[in-house]
Amino acid sequence: MAFFVARRLLYLVPVLIAVSLLTFLIASLLPGDLAYTILGDQATPENVAALRRDMGLDQPIWWRYLSWLGGVLQGDFGRSFRTGQTVLQAVAERLPVSIELMLLAQLGALAIGVPLAIICAARSGGPFDRFMTGTAFGMLSVPTFLSAILLIYFFAVELRWLPATGYVPFAEDPAGNLRFMVLPALTLALAEWPGIMRVLRSDMIATLQEDYIALAKAKGLKASRILFVHALKPSSLTLVTITGINIGRLIGGTVIVETIFALPGIGRLLIGAIYTRDLIILQGVVLLVGAGFVIVNFIVDLLYAVLDPRIRHGHA
Amino acid sequence: MKSAIRSGALARLFLVAGFGVAVSAMPANAQKAGGSITVGLELDIPGFDPLKVGVYDTAALTASSAIFDTLTTLDANGKPQPKLALSWSSSEDFKTWTFKLRPGVKFHDGTPFNAEAYKANFDRQKDPANKCRCAFYISNVNNVQAPDELTVVYNLNDPQVNWPSLVSYASQNSAVHSPTAWKTKGEDYNRNPVGSGPYVLKSWTAGDRMILEKNPDYWDKDKVYFDRITLKPLPDAQSRFASLQSGEVDLIWDDEFSADNIQKAQKDSKLTVHTYAGSGAAVYAMNTKTPPFDDLRVRQAIVMALDRKKMSQAITNGLSRPASNPYGDGSWVKCKDDGALPEDLEKAKALIKDYGKPVEFKMLVTATPRGRTVGQVLQQLWKRAGINMEIEQVDQATIPPRAFMRQFQMTPWRIVDLADPDIQMYANFHTGSPVALANYSNPGLDKLLEQARVTADQNKRVELYCEISRHINKEAIWFWTFQNTYYAISSAKLKGLPKMYSGVIDVSRTWKE
Repeated sequence: MAFFVARRLLYLVPVLIAVSLLTFLIASLLPGDLAYTILGDQATPENVAALRRDMGLDQPIWWRYLSWLGGVLQGDFGRSFRTGQTVLQAVAERLPVSIELMLLAQLGALAIGVPLAIICAARSGGPFDRFMTGTAFGMLSVPTFLSAILLIYFFAVELRWLPATGYVPFAEDPAGNLRFMVLPALTLALAEWPGIMRVLRSDMIATLQEDYIALAKAKGLKASRILFVHALKPSSLTLVTITGINIGRLIGGTVIVETIFALPGIGRLLIGAIYTRDLIILQGVVLLVGAGFVIVNFIVDLLYAVLDPRIRHGHA
Repeated sequence: MKSAIRSGALARLFLVAGFGVAVSAMPANAQKAGGSITVGLELDIPGFDPLKVGVYDTAALTASSAIFDTLTTLDANGKPQPKLALSWSSSEDFKTWTFKLRPGVKFHDGTPFNAEAYKANFDRQKDPANKCRCAFYISNVNNVQAPDELTVVYNLNDPQVNWPSLVSYASQNSAVHSPTAWKTKGEDYNRNPVGSGPYVLKSWTAGDRMILEKNPDYWDKDKVYFDRITLKPLPDAQSRFASLQSGEVDLIWDDEFSADNIQKAQKDSKLTVHTYAGSGAAVYAMNTKTPPFDDLRVRQAIVMALDRKKMSQAITNGLSRPASNPYGDGSWVKCKDDGALPEDLEKAKALIKDYGKPVEFKMLVTATPRGRTVGQVLQQLWKRAGINMEIEQVDQATIPPRAFMRQFQMTPWRIVDLADPDIQMYANFHTGSPVALANYSNPGLDKLLEQARVTADQNKRVELYCEISRHINKEAIWFWTFQNTYYAISSAKLKGLPKMYSGVIDVSRTWKE
């Protein structure tokens, strides 16, 4: 097991270097010049040249990448030219909001998707199964910006049960925090549960045809025990993968959902950095988010090993 | 240009009586003190240090009007009234303006506001070593002097008849900061601003909310009603409007591009739509040094082929107000004849036919949904006259440098709402100015612009600016599509919102019924 973990950790290094290089290149190759953005109406050729020198923009790109990477390795991600905040300060302020949103969304998606998958698998081909498979397919094609506006319209404007926009920190007012989080988390969960449901359903249907399930049935075990104990765990391997990959989709989703519901999270920070050409923030945030995604999937890999002894022992 | 000052014109002395700010004509007993207001703005505010942020956007201006004071403020008629300055006077040539300051004003950190503090604010922005973007907007000011504790003297490079009106809103240049605060806080000052205004910054969570509390020591505290102002960035237009409908916020910023919401709100008795028809317009410049715009026929055809009503319908459900001159209904420049060319497709076609060569050009368009929509509508309108426009999408930040270097055939620009047309008209049309984007030079036009800036008599200035408009319209070097209209939507209970001069939503003296 220790060997397995060490090997996986080693894979992380090239992945993270690739992420940092891509991030830096994308930010550097964006059209437009940072010096012009900062100087705006004052962008005379002399001012631009002076500022480019000050910011090191006149250096070759590989040199700029290395000096940025050098800073990052020492924990210095740089500072926003607009707000004066460091990247780490800005991310530390925003990250808890996004993590809470993603956790709630993931829990919501699992809470909807897993029970439905089990029910559908148990009666596969039945009317409920067919109805839910169709619904899931439909829900997959509803974009989050549409479901967000519909949820706001019904729950905030018409019924006035929940707020349309805003946020309070959990530490300040836990109940209030959850009230603000319900609609954004639900919006994301509505986009995520169909994937979970469809994958788990088909895996369960396959598992339920295994011989040992037939044996369990023959032993006279209760159907619920067979479903939840004997069939769920072996069927959940793909589910765990999906959940890991979903983190990436969720990060993308938070950009939209945080903008619509005005949550002060990472997604909003990213959008703001793009609009204002705050490349230092942009590079830093994308790198940190990328690293987060890679690490979550590393943890998912470890979870496989827990779920399936064959992977742990290197036979897979 | 000095000859333009007529011999009879004496130095004007504007002495405004009294210590109080003249507020709008509301009866005094209607205002109710206490409570709080929540305002939904579009964007996150980056900060308030002019050296860091360069220019305040609409969201920052709402906050800065509450945190900071300015020398003057504009009343409902657009006339300057005392704020930090009690009175002002100018020299005969309108190049020196002297302001007498209000005594006994303190910044929120307890340090005194005086002429020295005012000068320190100016010097910091002007200092070339600080490379402030904000310096562009004070390039006409040579220096500021503080001859005594309560006197500030502006020395201008070029005459400015309406200078007191131009320091009237809490912009990056006119908001007065506490020098002690920026010196002691350094990098952190940007997000911990200290002014002398009616509200004090209490807390600020990036991307979420800014809380301002009433300044108990404010010199005009009887005219300040809410105990607290909460400002929230709500970037999405639909959910921002939903938050207003559900009562979570009391007032939101909006613009013509969410015409649906504005029109819905106009029909809703629980909501009030605040509209300010400002001066200025959305404008376009043609580079007259490059074909096809070196030919007057093509330029005139471009303007005549427009159909602003149709454009307004297509873009903003008809909310946008067509513009036929650079001043607009919000300006005191009102022309009987502004010389606007008729919208006449047949004439445009004839001019193009007369020109004889195919007319093809590229137009810069901001790579935003709004920019693209406007570009596509223009493209279709011109196509009808046989003019082929190709859209070149560029980043917003790319337009100023491309414009300065004249690397365009046609570029969008804007004339913003300001109390005096001189600054922008002179910059946009006088030979040799960096933003005289049309590359057009005409001694007659230059002379008119020089005269208009040094003439004190407003009626004479109106005549001059109308003459300027006729000249530009006839030569068709720039054209104007729509006037500037500024919007805010609030709960019908909210009262006392002043006119949104320069698009600033100032809630610092509002109250709830």
